[in-house]
Amino acid sequence: MYKTTGFISFALRRFTGVALVLYLFMHMWVIGSVNSGPEAFNARLNFFQLPIFKLLEVGLLAAVVYHAFDGIRLIIVHYFEVTEYRKSMFYAAFAVSAILTVAGGIPILLFMLEG
Amino acid sequence: MVNNNSERTVTVRVQRFNPDVDKKPYLAEFSVHMTPDTTILDGLHQIKAEQDGSLTFRRSCRHAICGSCAMNVNGRNILVCKTPLRTQLDGQGQVTIRPLPYLPIIKDLVVDRTSFWEQYRRVKPWLVPPDDIPEKEFRVSPAEVAALNNAETCIMCGACYSACSVIGMTKQYIGPHALLKAFLRVIDPRDTIVAERLTDLAGGDGVYRCHTVFNCIDACPKNLDPTKAIEILRKLAQKRLAYEHTRRERQKSLIVK
Repeated sequence: MYKTTGFISFALRRFTGVALVLYLFMHMWVIGSVNSGPEAFNARLNFFQLPIFKLLEVGLLAAVVYHAFDGIRLIIVHYFEVTEYRKSMFYAAFAVSAILTVAGGIPILLFMLEG
Repeated sequence: MVNNNSERTVTVRVQRFNPDVDKKPYLAEFSVHMTPDTTILDGLHQIKAEQDGSLTFRRSCRHAICGSCAMNVNGRNILVCKTPLRTQLDGQGQVTIRPLPYLPIIKDLVVDRTSFWEQYRRVKPWLVPPDDIPEKEFRVSPAEVAALNNAETCIMCGACYSACSVIGMTKQYIGPHALLKAFLRVIDPRDTIVAERLTDLAGGDGVYRCHTVFNCIDACPKNLDPTKAIEILRKLAQKRLAYEHTRRERQKSLIVK
């Protein structure tokens, strides 16, 4: 295994990508139940009110923002060939993702604590 | 800065593997006398000459031009002949030398480079010049030479190939070394088969298989930039017919009679 910042970003990118696909299936399972009427929809949505899912929601936010900003970083490399900024751009993408995860995660967790 | 303290004995850990005897590779420890000028290759020679003659590794020129001695030192692919031992001591004052990763080990630090050379042959690394050869020279402009981005100085050591995460997953991928060579030929104004080259490179094993991990840049002992070459090839592959037309126009003024 050849471990560099490039490899870490690559591993995180793949991991978050697969996680997001799995999330989409859960999302469709809930949203799809709207066809069976409001009771069925509310019943499924209620299932996700457990605290563990609020924590997972913060994880989902982290996966979305990291995957997005890492993707933007690669688009910049593809279009402008700025390979010399590969490390600083990785740190920037990671820092922005971390800040957004904290900023978005606090309201989610506060909401959970309020019940 | 070099001071006299750097003359001392250090521990060099070398990954050993003899396919006739060993089931798995293991790390062996050796003590090496180090002066400020001792390179890692000097250390390996010292071990082979004075401690264990069965230690096996590749080396030839000893001044970073033959590309034989790329090895994985403390987790990074480098040329051991041009790297002083004192610069590679880790926190414990040791150095760990392993063969190039992701490649089959033949013995100790020697790896099987078959896939490396097969992919190299696949991109037709030679120049295909116009039929109309000039009496004196092809007149290539300084800007066109600069666009090659020093890609001609590649020594084929395999450091980038064996650092590539995609190579770790599949040996079908052409690899950074061969893509850099293909870039050299595609950018070269004398080459006549650019559309054919770009068609091959745009296939499933070519430039679009790169995951932009950048390990090839970090590993290259000649400070070359295979990732940038791959990015440029990706763009050219999308407009290969227009690019070939431009090339034909350019070649009309290339030949000086």
